[in-house]
Amino acid sequence: MTSLVLVLGPAAASLGAGVRHVRTRATVLLVMVAFFSSVLAYVVAFAPSGPALLGGYLRVDATSRLFLAFINPIFFGVSVYVWNRVATTPELGREMGRFVPCVLIFLSASNAVLVSNHLLVLWLALEITTLAAAPLIIWPTTPGSQLASFRYLLFSSVGLGLVLLGILCLARSGVSAGESPSFFLDRLAARSVAANPWSTLGVALIVLGLGTKLGLAPMYSWLPETYDKAPPAVTALLGAVQFNAALVVLLRVVQAFRPALAGLLTAELVTMGLASMLVSSFSIIATRNMTRLIAYASINHAGVIAIGLGIGKTASYGLLLYVVSNAFIKAILFLTAGKIKAHYGTNDTREIDGLLKNLPYSGVFLMVGTFALLGLPPFGSFFGELLVLSALVGSGHMFVFSAFCVLITMTFVATGRTVFPMIWAEPRQARTWPRQTFWSASPKIFFLFVLIALGVYIPPVVNQLIEEVAASVEVR
Amino acid sequence: MSPLLVALLGILLLPLFVGSWRTSIFGLGCQGLLMASIAHRLEPNPSSAQDFVLLADLAIVRGLLVPFAFYAVLRARNTPARNDVIPPNLLSWTVALSLVLASFSFAEVLVPEAGEQRTLVAVATAGILLGFLVLATQSDPLSQMIGALRIENAIALLELGGKRTEPPLGLQLALLAVFLTTVAYFRFYLNVLGSAEPSASVGTSESEGPTL
Repeated sequence: MTSLVLVLGPAAASLGAGVRHVRTRATVLLVMVAFFSSVLAYVVAFAPSGPALLGGYLRVDATSRLFLAFINPIFFGVSVYVWNRVATTPELGREMGRFVPCVLIFLSASNAVLVSNHLLVLWLALEITTLAAAPLIIWPTTPGSQLASFRYLLFSSVGLGLVLLGILCLARSGVSAGESPSFFLDRLAARSVAANPWSTLGVALIVLGLGTKLGLAPMYSWLPETYDKAPPAVTALLGAVQFNAALVVLLRVVQAFRPALAGLLTAELVTMGLASMLVSSFSIIATRNMTRLIAYASINHAGVIAIGLGIGKTASYGLLLYVVSNAFIKAILFLTAGKIKAHYGTNDTREIDGLLKNLPYSGVFLMVGTFALLGLPPFGSFFGELLVLSALVGSGHMFVFSAFCVLITMTFVATGRTVFPMIWAEPRQARTWPRQTFWSASPKIFFLFVLIALGVYIPPVVNQLIEEVAASVEVR
Repeated sequence: MSPLLVALLGILLLPLFVGSWRTSIFGLGCQGLLMASIAHRLEPNPSSAQDFVLLADLAIVRGLLVPFAFYAVLRARNTPARNDVIPPNLLSWTVALSLVLASFSFAEVLVPEAGEQRTLVAVATAGILLGFLVLATQSDPLSQMIGALRIENAIALLELGGKRTEPPLGLQLALLAVFLTTVAYFRFYLNVLGSAEPSASVGTSESEGPTL
């Protein structure tokens, strides 16, 4: 029942946010809803699983519990950031009547993706996150942000169209095998899916379509533009919340179809992962735009995740650790990049210097976030990458292992070469900045705390959840 | 081969060779109406609510509402008549025809028995591949929207062949609502961005106020 509240609560609150008297305090409502969602998410995550709801359409399993446990707190952190921005910059409050309902529907749909047990409902909820996010990207209203929002919607529509097409192919696969088609994930996982041309095509299309939502090659070009043009809070939501919602759909597909189509999944995911790492590495070398650099690093990370998921076995645990760390890294870096851009008035990395002296909070966040981004110890991303690499060697994928090492080294050098001077270089000119308050930094401090904690000590209850999900995506 | 499917294939190809936005939009509308006719032919006596929603989706929404929504915006903006959905050259036309041939070969693999199901799968596949051709070769918003809607229509056509997989009414209505919202968004973007290829300078020197 609590999971139903997680889905319907924010949607109901979004109706309230449109009411005239509430509109002026819409951000307070946003923070309250986000807080209660986080509390409820923890209740769901660490309580025993209940029965399926709504005729089996909603079901909480280990995957739902793990992702609910970190997506909702990230949303809460971003809400506090938005509340603080609006409180300190009153002109931003004018359009909160539009922003808050959309962002609450986004949360509601994201939670629906996590607890859904039906392929079509999953698709529908993911599509609603897209439709809710598209208007959020246009902020402030400029031709560039409108174009980025259009491209985001276009690529998402095409990607999700492919997913729907794949689902239809899977249904046909069942019919051609003489079975009654079912879209319920638990039933799909319980029975062995027949490997025939329809099911092969269906799974291949679903993975390709979800790859588009995750920013994987070949259809990744919407991501850097969208992340660059969207407001930092929205970029953080896209990168840390929506990315993981799409990833959950991919995990569901892998859980249900790996037994029958392991070879196809490995080949497609590893190819897409390597291609994404390749294009993102060269793009990181070429770009001089701070937000785009982080966006390309996100594509790189998506590539690592796809490879880990494709290999399975011992990589599964590592990739989940990587996914959880990655969500917090993105939230920290995108919010920090927004702060830096607001102060320097540019995203050009050559124009930004002396961050540790000029903006100490942002300097530290960028520094620690970049270390985690590059996969340095003690962060979860380090252990995650290490486990994926070890699984590559263990499974004999030596070519993938070599390419992975080369590309990750290129990314490391290119990112360091661009970001480190921004942090440590002597400021070229003395600047005065308004003091950064604790409240403005508090969401990032919280994300940073969780990120470091995950690298140093994983609580047994979280560890157990990660192990359960890892077991579910491995080859049975 | 059913005459309706032949007509649908023709309407998929025709706008590619006639460089006019009116033809493209007319083509989208015809696709919707032809798919509604095919649905009616497959289920001559619609009885369930799902059947009626499906017919309304195909005939009213895809056949009439979408073309009129686009037409109104383009007419109001006084858009020049010329609009190529694929580059007007021999190479593009050859690629388009090759994709249609490839679709028929592909359908033979998926549906071994010759018949209307195989043709339906072939035409749907051709619709998807031609939609991707439009998306891959054009960068102006109008052509890209037409490409995306062609893919959406082809998916709806494929869905027609799998009657046993019809979703429950609630889900079907939700899918229709999502499609309508997407079209409403497209209309908004067409209004603000126009049909011309976006300027290369967009986004380079924009004055931005405070942001979240």
